[in-house]
Amino acid sequence: MDTIRLYIRSMGILIKSQLQYPLSFLLQTLAQLIMEGGEMLAVILLVDRFDHLNQWSAGDLYFFFGLMSVTFYLSECFGRGITGNFPSMVRTGQLDTLLLRPRGILTQVMCSAVDPRRITCIAVGTVSLIIGSRMAHIRWSPARALLLAESIACGFWLILGLFLIEAVLCIHSVKSVEIANALTYGGRSACQYPIDAFPRPLRCLFTVIAPFALVMHIPASHILGKPLFSLPAWVAYVSPLSGILVFGIMAFAFSRAMRFYRSVGS
Amino acid sequence: MKAYRSIFRLRLRMETQYRGAVLGGIVCQIFFGLILVALYRALYAGKPQAMPLSHITTYVWLQQAFFRMLLASDADLMDKIRTGGIAYDLCRPLHPYGFYYARIMAQKLMGSLLRAVPMLLFAFWLPTGWGLSLPASPAALLLSLAAWFLGLGCVCAMENITMAFTMRTLDPRGIQAMLNLLMMILSGNVLPLTLYPDRWQKVITFLPYAQMLDAPIRLYTGVSMPSQACQVLLLQAAWTALLIFLGCVLWQRNQRRLIIQGG
Repeated sequence: MDTIRLYIRSMGILIKSQLQYPLSFLLQTLAQLIMEGGEMLAVILLVDRFDHLNQWSAGDLYFFFGLMSVTFYLSECFGRGITGNFPSMVRTGQLDTLLLRPRGILTQVMCSAVDPRRITCIAVGTVSLIIGSRMAHIRWSPARALLLAESIACGFWLILGLFLIEAVLCIHSVKSVEIANALTYGGRSACQYPIDAFPRPLRCLFTVIAPFALVMHIPASHILGKPLFSLPAWVAYVSPLSGILVFGIMAFAFSRAMRFYRSVGS
Repeated sequence: MKAYRSIFRLRLRMETQYRGAVLGGIVCQIFFGLILVALYRALYAGKPQAMPLSHITTYVWLQQAFFRMLLASDADLMDKIRTGGIAYDLCRPLHPYGFYYARIMAQKLMGSLLRAVPMLLFAFWLPTGWGLSLPASPAALLLSLAAWFLGLGCVCAMENITMAFTMRTLDPRGIQAMLNLLMMILSGNVLPLTLYPDRWQKVITFLPYAQMLDAPIRLYTGVSMPSQACQVLLLQAAWTALLIFLGCVLWQRNQRRLIIQGG
């Protein structure tokens, strides 16, 4: 409980500090809107030209896009400490100060940054989810709404877990290892479309190693009423938990890696 | 002119230094390319288009290979603007516009060639329907090369305009991020311009962003016939000249009302 209070308190302070430069904040938020708007435009134009992707209609595709967009940018917003700042914390030696404080390192890293500019990306994603659910005529029920919430929540942890890969590599190598981002950003680009669009190697990658398919596509396809690979309903409720598993494994790896942390000394 | 040439040469050499980063970038870009190609293949399987699939895959690979040409910016200059170090550069007996133009051009040229050559070799090696196809004709290859150089000139001119705005606002993130995003969307990186609705294409291909990579790729794949090449190259040259002129004016103005961030 204490940790959560600490997190909320730091978020409050950080957001207040970012709003000290309102014009810059506004411009950057607008830039985010253009970025995510551009991504959505790409989906709209593709749908306009191709009508459908395998068995997925336009509405389904907007729903998948919205789900990825909301989830990804929620993690970029509230997990900014992991997704953005960590490599520079190692490089500048800022991480040393965290070692002195009586809280877990990962907690402190999570508390160290927030990125409220992403709010426009999340908004674009939400709009896409709503349009998608209207066009695909989803019959909402409490169970389905719960499943959507579960998918987003587990996706949040999955994405943070994948960003931790870069953090762990960074502890060992000091330099930020951008190649690790292929999995996170590549996963976002690929898995904003349903997994069955991709050939087997990519499918395996995004099911087993970075399980976007388990966390997002299986529940989403269940909500849309076209279950992927005709899996039974209970699978849709269980499979998103793999996101939390990934985060757990990476958090463990992170704490192991911290034992080898050697300050750069600056 | 000699001074600008030696700046250009120095930056070329500097850009070859970080080979590890280059390798990482290549792997990432190839991965993205494969994802995009897989996606377009699945879309084409559902509803084939008038434009053959090989054009789209070629488009994707050329865009990914020259990604760095669009999106490399002079990080030194950004720091100098923020810290006030730019004052030293302004004291040089050179025109600052030309000074930075030579620097950014070297950076974009070498940065993109280092990544593009191995990537394009890889894309050629991929099976047909996945990879890069040969140019439409030898003439198309030569013309697209010419168009690529003009495109490079155009990108660099655009970059200097972005920098001129950065000098005013001091914070690069707002305006720069916005202009870069416009570039990604309108230059064909997010979605090949050839897949935009046909009516939009008429407008978009006229904009400066389409002159950077889209124009050379169109010549390469033969979407723009060699007989239209004159028109394409002229449009590119006109935009480049206009953007350079605009950039020069902005830089002159900035110098007149310059506030150096001290410290």
